[in-house]
Amino acid sequence: MKHVIPYLVLASLTLGQQLFGAIGCTLSNPAEDLKFLYPEMTSFKEELNEFPRLKDGSSLFKGLKARLGSDLDSIYETYETPYTVYIVFKGSAKIGIVHGVNVPGKGGVIQVFLSMDPATAQIKSFFFQRLESPAARQLRTKEFRAQFTGLTLGDFYKHDYYAAVEPAAKADRVAAIKPPALEATGLPDYQASLRGVRKNLILLDCFVFGGRFEPFFERALQAAGKAKVGKD
Amino acid sequence: MNQAMKTDPFILRRYFALAIKNLRRRLVRTSLTIAGVALAVTVAVSLGGFMLGYRGAIDRSINMLGFQVMIMAKGCPYEAATMMLKGGTGLLYLPSDTYDKVKSDPEIESITPIFVGVAQKQGSGIRDDAGATNFSVISGIEVLSYKVMKPWIALKSGPGYDGGRWFEADSKTDVVLGFEAAEYEQRKVGDSFYASIAPAGKPEPVMHEFKVVGVLERTGTQDDGTVFMPIDVAREYFGRPAQLTILGIKLKQFNAVKMREFETRWLKLPEVQVVGLQQVKNTLVSLVATAQTMIAAVAVIAIIVALIGVINTILMSVYERTAEIGIMKALGARRGSIFQLIWLETVIICLIGALTGSILAVVGSSLVERAIRSIADFGVSGSIVSITPQVIMYAVSGAVALGFFGGLYPAWRASSMRPVGAISKGV
Repeated sequence: MKHVIPYLVLASLTLGQQLFGAIGCTLSNPAEDLKFLYPEMTSFKEELNEFPRLKDGSSLFKGLKARLGSDLDSIYETYETPYTVYIVFKGSAKIGIVHGVNVPGKGGVIQVFLSMDPATAQIKSFFFQRLESPAARQLRTKEFRAQFTGLTLGDFYKHDYYAAVEPAAKADRVAAIKPPALEATGLPDYQASLRGVRKNLILLDCFVFGGRFEPFFERALQAAGKAKVGKD
Repeated sequence: MNQAMKTDPFILRRYFALAIKNLRRRLVRTSLTIAGVALAVTVAVSLGGFMLGYRGAIDRSINMLGFQVMIMAKGCPYEAATMMLKGGTGLLYLPSDTYDKVKSDPEIESITPIFVGVAQKQGSGIRDDAGATNFSVISGIEVLSYKVMKPWIALKSGPGYDGGRWFEADSKTDVVLGFEAAEYEQRKVGDSFYASIAPAGKPEPVMHEFKVVGVLERTGTQDDGTVFMPIDVAREYFGRPAQLTILGIKLKQFNAVKMREFETRWLKLPEVQVVGLQQVKNTLVSLVATAQTMIAAVAVIAIIVALIGVINTILMSVYERTAEIGIMKALGARRGSIFQLIWLETVIICLIGALTGSILAVVGSSLVERAIRSIADFGVSGSIVSITPQVIMYAVSGAVALGFFGGLYPAWRASSMRPVGAISKGV
């Protein structure tokens, strides 16, 4: 047997490694990770969501770009990308929703996860699963991440609204987020992280919360339109 | 029978028609017996396809490595196991002058030095205390000799990948990513790529920013998950300027004798081991062969059970038709004719069962493959179940041959009946 081990190990090194799956974003150890986030959890369910399988998937995907306010990566943020939503239960009661997204960072992919209150659609916690960045240490701090607790997608849409009609409004909770002390090399990953949170919330609103925050988006859109006309 | 055929050239067809008619009398029983045979043949064909497909997949994967022989540091595989299982960085390295010594060997057709290092990814879990559980495998290579060894390696083109190129030998900032490394990190040509590399003897990794200058087409090998950079640069960043990990070698003539000679020549170096990929292949095949033998045992049991079912069905049929057989004999049917008729019925059941089973195996091969892969990762890419016409031919021939043997006893019992006794017993 001893003679076999080197060859077996060598073979596993030299032969093809297990293929990476489709470019989705899943928890590395769902049972362990969810228990860490929700110690009272008794069970959880995974739901796979894909735009092609949704009714009006095509128009929802087109809407994602508008709601995100930035372009989607043509290779890695595609119509076919699968999204896994974890629903956490205590007994039969739904106590949490966890969802992650990939966003391209400056030097590698960033995996942004949110755990959500299923009733209010507020962020309970925000965390990174993968983050390779000169700013990783600062972005991973509890203090920075805690600023997102309690925010909803509505707050991000309100931020767009305030940006158009009343910049620096005190009610703008997103504008109030203080970035950690970063060097210039870390800034792109900070921005990518914010984009990841927003993208995550938009997708959750689409897959789980039934477009609850759409009125906020419409309002922000109108405000931005008016502001543009005013400027012209 | 020859005499009978001379007098009636359609005798075989008549036997066949009669046998079919007899089988159709108890359609449910016949169908269930055929289903039993079909199931056993499905298992046998799937297993045969797996054995063949797995060997083929290993062959393909080994061939895609490009080289037939590797020279590496002694104990390297154990260290590699540590690296893979524990996340350590304890690969063993060869002195780089091994390359200079070995490359002059007259039996070598081509040789390429490879330096392998492991770059830890920063915390890759959701917890604050998440350790580094993800790694990037970094290969320092000499592009020219590497491409000679693996001529199929090509740079990906298309949106996001156009303009891809290999790095210059002295470029400290350029990397080429394997297909899956790029996909996993969501990188395109022109993007930055961060890698945290701990130099030998230093506790803290240093983050380097590279530029992705090319992405490789998928090869189905470990290259897909690898980050490539110039060998000297990799050695410098890993703090091992005079070391390398593997020498990949292609011999002018590759056979057991030449391999042994080559091994003998270079094992004189105290710190190296020479590993032929044929050995790796044989070891892999022999390991899986144990599992395959166990599955084969199950298949054999299934076949035996099916055969017993066939014999039982035909025997029951013979007993039910005792009077009929007695009448046939009384009317002049010869012992040989009765024997052939019953024998033919057995063979027909086995033949139909074998054909049905083969069709089921072909149709369900993708399901079988998925099931096998869900049980274990076999470490090879491509299909591991390959059902060829030969496999089907062997399975069908085997089933028919078993039918021949299985039909002997019922046919003998039927043909041995005495007409009067059979008629009185059967009435």
